[in-house]
Amino acid sequence: MTRAEIEAKILEFFRKEFEIDNPGMDDDLREAHGFDSIDAIELLLEIENILDSELTHEEKKRAMDIRTINQVLDYIVSLAEARQAGNRADQASAVKSR
Amino acid sequence: MLSMPRTHMLDVIVTLALWAWYIMGYLIFFSPFYLYAYFFSKRKEEAFQRLNHRLHRHFFTLVRILIPRARWHITEEVSALRSSIIIANHRSFLDPILFVSLYEKQKTIVKKDYFGYPVFGWILKVSGYMPSLTNGGFSDAMMTQIKNMADYLASGGNLFIFPEGTRSRDGRIGPFDKGGFRIARLCRAPIVVVSIRNTDKLYPPDGLLFNTRDACAIEVELAGRLTPDYDRDNMSTADLMEEARALLERKMTP
Repeated sequence: MTRAEIEAKILEFFRKEFEIDNPGMDDDLREAHGFDSIDAIELLLEIENILDSELTHEEKKRAMDIRTINQVLDYIVSLAEARQAGNRADQASAVKSR
Repeated sequence: MLSMPRTHMLDVIVTLALWAWYIMGYLIFFSPFYLYAYFFSKRKEEAFQRLNHRLHRHFFTLVRILIPRARWHITEEVSALRSSIIIANHRSFLDPILFVSLYEKQKTIVKKDYFGYPVFGWILKVSGYMPSLTNGGFSDAMMTQIKNMADYLASGGNLFIFPEGTRSRDGRIGPFDKGGFRIARLCRAPIVVVSIRNTDKLYPPDGLLFNTRDACAIEVELAGRLTPDYDRDNMSTADLMEEARALLERKMTP
């Protein structure tokens, strides 16, 4: 999934679930949109949906520092890349072991 | 008629007796059951909620015995609520523990500081209650709680929330926090609005003592139900909050 595709999904999610239309990509979500704990959890659940896998404890801890939508996108892209790299490594080791 | 100092003395004695029972309930009477449930129950959360319910039911039985001038009117509709997200106004410290006494399966959002108290904080945590975090932070446990909330509600559990976040000092309904409404939306759950009256007369929000002197009628009644269409395109949490507030205000208006 490209960054643009992730961005479209996240913006649609913000519009539908948080009722935030066209947010600034660098808006502080707490300051500008009153983002709270429940919103943060809801967003993380959506990120798990997008990635189709659960977040680890460490990944959730990293999410605590997120303030803006650009940071949300960076976070998802980095997790998606890490998962792809992990899948490739698994496949390579499976081929080797044959 | 009792003189002022003597009636105040009665307040002090009754208050000490009630809170002594409350603390001993946790530390002595119920602690073996909590420990047993913690080590041996397969469903710790449910077992702890059941114990909380029993402890608080005993507590309110004692309140009724020791303060006979307080009359209680809790409607059958409210007592029978299951699988509901309950939104209520907040008048007294008694409100949340009254709900615990009403429902065997109950969860709520509790001030974060309480989770740091010895014994009590541990019971809150194992019972599956959620800390209220105002800084936008969250914890793994809270995320798991919210993830499992729809299943918990489906199993008959209630989640009760006081969206004002604090006790009303003047009887008016304060501004609402959106948290409970967001959880309802996330779980696609209907909302039940419950009005509470006069618990502040029995245990004032800024007082330390039960008021045993004045007759009061405590009323806990259904103010209405909201069944929002969460999939509607222009669904608004703010509107939902306003609807809940309107139901409460209508019910509270004499």
